[in-house]
Amino acid sequence: MTMLLELDHISKIYGDLKAVDDLSLTVPAGEWLAIVGSSGSGKTTLMNMIGCMDTPSKGSVKLEGRKLEDLNATQLADVRKNMIGLVFQKFYLVPHLTAVENVMVAQYYHSVVDEKEALAALDRVGLKDRAHHLPGQLSGGEQQRVCVARALINCPKIILADEPTGNLDEKNEKIVLDLFRQLHEQGTTIIVVTHDALVASCAEREIMLNHGVLVGEKWNDEAARAAYEAQGGKPASTGSDAEDAQRGETAIGFADPTKAAKTGGEAA
Amino acid sequence: MTNTGMFFRMLFSAVFRRRSRAAMAVVASLVGSATLFCLAMICIAVPQQMNQEMRAYGANLIVTPTASTGDKAGIEDAMVEHTSEMVAAKGTAKHATYRYENVRVNAAPYVMAGVNPDDVENLNHHWSVDGDWPSEGKVLVGRDVADAVGLKVGSAIKIAYRASDNASGASSDAASGDSAGSSASSSASASPSASASPSQQMQDGRVSSDIMDTSGTDFRVAGIVDTGGSEDSIIYATDDDVTKLTGSTRGADVIEYSVDLSGEGLSDLVDSINGMTSMHVKAQQVTKITSSDTRIITMLQTLFWIVSLVVLVLTLVGVGTTISSIVSQRRNEIGLRKALGASSKSIGVEFYAESAVYGLVGGLLGTGVGYGFALVLTTTVFQRSLDFNWWLAAASVVLSMLVAVIASVPPVHRATRIDPAVVLREE
Repeated sequence: MTMLLELDHISKIYGDLKAVDDLSLTVPAGEWLAIVGSSGSGKTTLMNMIGCMDTPSKGSVKLEGRKLEDLNATQLADVRKNMIGLVFQKFYLVPHLTAVENVMVAQYYHSVVDEKEALAALDRVGLKDRAHHLPGQLSGGEQQRVCVARALINCPKIILADEPTGNLDEKNEKIVLDLFRQLHEQGTTIIVVTHDALVASCAEREIMLNHGVLVGEKWNDEAARAAYEAQGGKPASTGSDAEDAQRGETAIGFADPTKAAKTGGEAA
Repeated sequence: MTNTGMFFRMLFSAVFRRRSRAAMAVVASLVGSATLFCLAMICIAVPQQMNQEMRAYGANLIVTPTASTGDKAGIEDAMVEHTSEMVAAKGTAKHATYRYENVRVNAAPYVMAGVNPDDVENLNHHWSVDGDWPSEGKVLVGRDVADAVGLKVGSAIKIAYRASDNASGASSDAASGDSAGSSASSSASASPSASASPSQQMQDGRVSSDIMDTSGTDFRVAGIVDTGGSEDSIIYATDDDVTKLTGSTRGADVIEYSVDLSGEGLSDLVDSINGMTSMHVKAQQVTKITSSDTRIITMLQTLFWIVSLVVLVLTLVGVGTTISSIVSQRRNEIGLRKALGASSKSIGVEFYAESAVYGLVGGLLGTGVGYGFALVLTTTVFQRSLDFNWWLAAASVVLSMLVAVIASVPPVHRATRIDPAVVLREE
């Protein structure tokens, strides 16, 4: 079986600190995975390694069977622009470019700029009429939707979203999650880093990190779990000897993290 | 829209939608460009004009017949023309010829110079002439001669020529290179002394004589020249009048050149003329004017270039600091672009192009402002006019762009090494 993403005993070590400790994880194409944990648990570090923006100190990351540690900076940049769409908590839109230009920037670095396509992407996130506004003239929710439009414009295989609803109110949070849901239904692999229970519960599968160590895994969609296991997929695991670590091939369930109160009935 | 179109759209947006930041960079370039252009204009234009104006203070090169000619043939017209062509080949030049003859006024000996008045006037703007320059039947007399003989503008003067006065080689001595060269300031200065024998006494610019023959040809005094130099002891007439008076035609004793050269260029010209022995002429620099001229201009130019260099360095630092600050403020944007797949090269090109635009706008405005300052400075301080130098303006704009781009190299280089993960690391 070929997984889209394979993490094989990866660690990220800063001096004495293990930001990610010996994690193994496989993600098939089309899965919606949430990486949950409190601040400082190593979620973003893990996402950076998956997104080719950081390299593990130990272990190996494979995307479509290709080992990332064998690639140079230019090849990693190529992988980023061809395979990955990024959505950030702080949006990171270029402040002096309009919404449509921000989407076109991703096209510019990817291949060929096509304004109509960029406008269509903004239309998809419900922002066609705000296409020629600067980020400063948009609300937080609108900026995040531009960010989503930018992430999906090049039809990436994986969308990596780091706290995509962290700065949004509930209404905009729902809009963004609906967008992710649509993308997922179209077969896009989504990996969301969050400490928001509502966002996490939208995913098919959740893994939980605590101080860089995998401490739990649970499935929100049993059908997806069955399909995963049918493909030969195994639970995530860690070689860490930390207490509560999820070692071996048995998933350890966990309670929803913070903001659990928000989940009430809205989860997918 | 093409990718090139998008490139310019991003460039336009970065410059014109971030006006306050862009204004900082433009102002930094403007100040540097204005100061440099102003200094360069003055540095080039003022010494050039001073050089031209110094040329108006008379000759800086004289050519006389060599001693080997021996007779009073002087320098033939054809040789004057040939020599002038040689000089003109090296630089812009004006020239005037002088034919010296010993004459008598009221029996007292004086030196008369046959000249082309237009050439002499053109060469010696510093001569103060009361009245007119010589014309047919009218002479220009030196101040000392006028005082000694009691002449005024319009007075009659009787000038006699005696072949015996000129037979001893006095004139050829007067026109010889030795005497002309030793005078340094003017070839003609040696002529009166050369016309007098060593035993004779000088009084009021003339030589005492006991010869009382007052016959001669009548002339009118067209004007009186006052230079404070040896010219004040000479009577100037047209070449034709001197030919009529002497009854003989011959070449010039001295050619004076005011050539637009100084230092080594002038020395090379002198050497090249002297190297042509078949021409039977000898060239010499009028060293006083040449050396002071060169020294002043060199000092001025050196001063201006040193100041310009200091300004250039300060501009580089100023523009560099400003652009460095702008780039630093955009670290997140650079990280984002890299996260979106931009290569370091493409980010570098975008930022260098942006810096070049700042340099271009600042350079254009700065050149205009610099010209304004230069105009005010040259008018009020140097009392000179100043034409706009398009080549220098183009160079100023290009330099301004270059400085902006060079100044942005270190910060952009640092920025392109930004780890894109820093964008995501900010939780």
